[in-house]
Order: sequence, then structure tokens, then C-alpha cells
Amino acid sequence: MSTTVNAVTCPVCGCLCDDIELTIENGVIAKVKNGCAMCESKFLSYKNEHRNKTPLVRKEGKLVPVSYDEAIHKAAEILANANYPILYGWSSTDCEAQRVGVELAEEVGGVLDNTAVVCHGPSILSVQEVGIPTCTLGQIRHRADLVIYWGCDPWSAHPRHLERYTTFTEGRFEGSEWKEYMNKVKASAGKKKLLSLERREIVKRKPEPIIEKVTVNKPPETLSKAGRKLIVIDVRKTMTAEVADYFIQVQPGKDYELMLAIRALVKDHELDVDQVAGVPVEYLEELVDAMVNCEFGVIFFGMGLTQSAGKFRNVDVAISLIRDLNRRTKFAILPMRGHFNVTGANTVSTWQSGYPYSVDFSLGYPRYNPGETSVVDVLLRKESDAALIVASDPASNFPRKAVEHLVANPLIVIDPHMNATALLGDVVFPAAIVGIEKAGTAYRMDHVPLPLKKVVEPPEGILSDEEILSRILEEVRVIKSQKMQEAA
Amino acid sequence: MITLTPLRQFRFPVMAECINPDVFQGKSVDEIAQLTVWEGNKQKKLCELFKIEQSLAEAPSIVINGNVEEVRRIGSGMKSGEIVINGNAGMHLGEKMAGGKITVNGDAEGWAGSDMKNGLLEIMGNAGPYLASPYRGSSTGMRGGKIIVHGNVGTDAAVFLKGGTIKILGDAGPFMGFRMCDGTIHIEKNCGTRVGACMTGGKIVVSGVLEEVLPTFTIDSVKAKVKIEEGDSATGPFYVFLGDLAENGNGKLYVSKANNPHLSTYEKYL
Repeated sequence: MSTTVNAVTCPVCGCLCDDIELTIENGVIAKVKNGCAMCESKFLSYKNEHRNKTPLVRKEGKLVPVSYDEAIHKAAEILANANYPILYGWSSTDCEAQRVGVELAEEVGGVLDNTAVVCHGPSILSVQEVGIPTCTLGQIRHRADLVIYWGCDPWSAHPRHLERYTTFTEGRFEGSEWKEYMNKVKASAGKKKLLSLERREIVKRKPEPIIEKVTVNKPPETLSKAGRKLIVIDVRKTMTAEVADYFIQVQPGKDYELMLAIRALVKDHELDVDQVAGVPVEYLEELVDAMVNCEFGVIFFGMGLTQSAGKFRNVDVAISLIRDLNRRTKFAILPMRGHFNVTGANTVSTWQSGYPYSVDFSLGYPRYNPGETSVVDVLLRKESDAALIVASDPASNFPRKAVEHLVANPLIVIDPHMNATALLGDVVFPAAIVGIEKAGTAYRMDHVPLPLKKVVEPPEGILSDEEILSRILEEVRVIKSQKMQEAA
Repeated sequence: MITLTPLRQFRFPVMAECINPDVFQGKSVDEIAQLTVWEGNKQKKLCELFKIEQSLAEAPSIVINGNVEEVRRIGSGMKSGEIVINGNAGMHLGEKMAGGKITVNGDAEGWAGSDMKNGLLEIMGNAGPYLASPYRGSSTGMRGGKIIVHGNVGTDAAVFLKGGTIKILGDAGPFMGFRMCDGTIHIEKNCGTRVGACMTGGKIVVSGVLEEVLPTFTIDSVKAKVKIEEGDSATGPFYVFLGDLAENGNGKLYVSKANNPHLSTYEKYL
């Protein structure tokens, strides 16, 4: 039997596209409509061979299948007896599981951290220092006439971002630039064909007059065109840069200087230098003109800013630039969040503890000081003595020294798949996939909460992250009360 | 004088704001032994972590013998007395310090002298990042007192500096004096990039090499010497830059002329 489910939210990236159509045949997802390649891949491969179907506990060096009860008791024992456990991951699960996670972290006196710490954590640090003038993606879709992508490549990482929210979307007050883009592509293809014919000496034409070579980073004349404009600033010509009206190639690690110079130019100051980060100041002045003359501009920034030299200071100067621009026009700024619910992880952690990530509950109250209480630093200083990893794979992407310490201590993993961390774990729980087999809530990159749908049943007997965490929390409380009674 | 010797190498972070001359004042050794500290998520007594001895000598008030890099908040909020650490010190050393003296005969971890108001903090080795900088989200930096570091300093030192003097005899990391509005910093050796970014006031003196000055600083003059504090001055000549223009700032950045020939391109604007 075949059924169609409409308006499904895609649990892949921070865009949370909520217009996906799924065709279910005999209880299995058979077809995906409207999604990008990543979306299709997730919805169609949820039943692949990497799926873990049973809880595992390491005995005599080998992971052996056990019951949920045994695995939950073992995990609770590890956490209840730990002096400084870490609870990490959270960005690829729903807000409901994250809420239980905060409660568990407080109960066991651990360090609660989410994947923002190796991603957009620096953005949050800057927001806390200088604030953030922002808006929802809907506002941008309908009103933005200048879109700047700085240090990010949505064409590759958030494939439907341009199509749904910015340049290629038909807004109420601003049109789509898709037709112009297609004309550009056709013109470029025609030019290539002509050059090819010339090379093969099929067509001969008069040599073109020698014109001055176009200088790198020179603003094109189209910068003053009507309609939406797209500017990309990056260290290399990315896929997004290919479709942009203006691409500025900044020297690696020099984003801070470039942005600071733009700030000074916005304030009409003269600079004592001829070029900044490889871009002549006269071109920057034209860029500033485009920024100041737009009606509503927006800067999207990615890890090119947050994880390159300067880190949160790069975001600090970007936000300060928006503040300066808002004195002359209307501007907003948004981070391009990666995991589908990393924004939710920050939001849930904030409304439960007051802090968005790297929250240390070891003193009985929440403390926050990334650098001191961030998981990577805790691991590198070899301070933790147990870890719970939920819906994440730090063994694949943390520094090697940090992973060495992570696996040297008891490690509990909750994940639908047998990832690298799960293979190194001591207690491994299989979980239902959030957004496919479990309904929940996730926050889009602009802090808009969206419902995630349950479209198919999870494998038999498989619990969700929320259920597993709730049962571990219950068991931790039982173990702690027993210990207190023994002590009394 | 109270001497503390760690009983073992600490594995978990130890929160010990009670190691403070003002707290120890008037207490017997037994009372000091009962003071509470946190090791990881377990509350303990000071005597479970340190051997505590008393001697008749008056000064310094507290001596710690051994590496205590996992022990945080030593001398937090102290107003008087003296602490000497013969070893490395942990994070938040002398945070909110309002008087007295701390000497570290070793290295200090991050956030040493954070939110300091007065007193003297002397580190004979290196200092970690965020020296004299506020905790996350706060815009209140060091407001007074003096910090001397004989070794090198990590990144983001003296952020939001509002007063006091910082003297670094070694090298300094990037973003020194970020958003500072008053106070003086003297770096005797080399300084990392982006020094004085977004500063609105105060003085930074770099006697060594500075790879580049931010584009939002404008050259003002060349001066032969510059005053650091009463009875102390640095000899130049120095290029004097004003900035940060991005913040309409009026901070002064002095950079040694002899050690930075690559900055001579600015001379055409004089």
C-alpha cells in the first residue's frame, strides 16, 4: 500500500526545509520529493546495514548484545560514580531529548556540551559580547535585496538555502534571480562552445581588441543593478561564488582585517593603506557603497569566520559592522548553522541552565566558561573520567589527543548507527532516528521551532533518545539514593 | 605563615577560592583544614587535598609548594596579604583581586588577574590566554593594579582593559588590548597581530617586532620615548599610531621604529 506524507521537515541541516513529500510503501520510505541530495540520502538510507539493532556492553574487551535494562543500569552506574563526566553531542536529536539531557547533566554533576563548541560556539561568544541584530529567514526571503555569504558555501553545505530563503526565491517584495543566473550560465556555455570551435578552426573571426585584464576582486558593473544582489566573500572560489554577482577573494586568515577596514569605511574614515587582505581599498569603497545603498541587506557567515584565525573576534567585528550599517540602512546577520537541531541544543540549554553550551554542573550550579568548561579542552587537559555521547561522533572529528582520553575512560554512546565512537564505546544504545521514526521539535538556524514528523515505525523494540535518557536518569537517581542510604 | 603542599597530583579541577589570606586570617590550622573545596563534582575539606603547616614567619601569608595547575581561583577577591606559589598555578588566579600580592614561581593558566581592581600579580614564568581579561560575556576588564609577566603571554590578554598597568617581559599573543579603553600595556619583546583591535583609549607599547598594524590605525608621529608609569619609561624611537578608527577610538599604539623597518611605509603619511 502506498501513502504520501506532505510537509515533512528534513532532519539534515540547519535549513530544516519543511516542504518535503515522502511516499511510503509497505511501511518503508520509497520516494522523496523536493529534497536535496543530502535529504534524499537520509530518508532513503535509514534502514542501511550500519544501523545498530540491539544495546551492547563491552565485556572482556568485546561489545556483546544485552537487554536495554542491563545497558541502562551499566550506563547509570558509570555516570553516578563519575567525578567529572562529560555529556556531549545533542545537535542531531530533538529538543525533548536535549531537555532530559540537561536534567541528567545536573543530576550527575557533569559538563554538558553540544557540537556548537567545534562549530558556531565562537559566534555565541561574540553575540554575548556585542548582541546580534537578526531576523527570520522569511523576512530575508521577502525583503532582502543584498545577500552576502561570508566564509560559507551554502551551494554545497545547505543546498536549498539560496532556493528557499535568499537569491533564487520569489519573495513578496523581491524577485528571484534564477532567470538571470540561467541566462548567465547559457551565455557562458555559448562562449565556451565558440572558443572550442575556434580551437578546432571550424569558425574563424577577427581577433578581439586587447582590453585591460580584469583585476582580481574588481567589482563588476552588475553590482549597481536592480533586484537582488549576491556577494560571496571567501578564501577560494566556491560553488556559491560561481553564482554570485560579486566574489571577493580574501587572503586566508585576514577576514578580520577586511571587515574592520569596511567598518572604518562605513564610518567615512580614510585608511593609511592601499589594500587590505588582498583587496584594493578603492574596490572596498564600492562594496561599502553597495552595502549602504541597499534597502535591506543580510550577511550569512559560516565556519570560514568562526574557525579561522581570530575565531569569535571575527564574528564580533562582523556583528559590529552590522551595527554600524544599521545607522545608515537596514541590515541583519545570521550564522549558517550545520546540524539540523544545533540551534535547538543551544536554545534548550539556555532556557534550562542560562547558558547555551559548555555548561559545567560539577559545583551543583551551572557555570559557563568555554576554554575552561568546553569538552575539547576538558579532554585535552585529561580531566574527565566518563562520557556520554548522544547523536554525535566525536571520535571522527575531535583532536586525536582528546579522543585518546575520551576512549581511555568509560564511554556511553546513544546513536542509531554504529559510528566510530560507538565502536570504541563501553555501553552502546541503538536509538530511533529523530524526524523519521520519532516525532519531536527542532530549531531552524533562525531560531524558529519546527515540528519533526514520525513517518515510519522504528525497528522493533528500539527506543528513542528521550526514552533512553529518561530511563538512565531514573536509574541514576535510584543508585544515588541507595548510596546515600548506605552512607547514612 | 601557612604552607600548603598538595598531597597528590590532582586529576579533576579543584575550586579553591578559600586559599586567600583574608579567609585564612585569624583561623587556626585546624579551622583552615576544615575549609571546603570542590574536586570535580565532590565537595572536600582542604586537608584532604593539602598538607597544611603553620610557621611563625609573618610574610608571605600563604606559600604553596608544588604544581597546582588544576587548582583554580587561588586568591580570588583577596584584599590584603601575600601568596607565593612555588610551582604552576591554575586558572582564575587572583580574579577580582583588590589588594595584596601574588607571586608565581612558575607558569599561570588562563584568566589570571581577571577583573582585577588593585594589587600586584607577578608571574615569573609564562601566562596563559585571557590574562587580565573578563570572563565570557562580561565587558568589565582589569580596572587597576599591576601585572608583571616575566615570560610569554597567550592570546586575548588585557581585553576590555579599563585601568592599571601590564608589563610583559616576553612575547604576547594576538588580540592584546582588544576593546581596551584605558590603562597601559608594555610588551618588551614581540607582539602578535591585531594588537589594540577596537581600542578606544589607553596605551600599548611594543618594544619588539609587530608584524603588522591593523588597517584602521592611522600614524600620528614618531616619539623618542614613552612613559609607562611613574619612574618607568620605554626608550624608542616609536611610531605612534592612533585608533581604532572602526570604533572612532583614540587609543595610542607605540611600535618600536628600530625593530619594525617594514612599517616605514607609513612615514609618507607624516
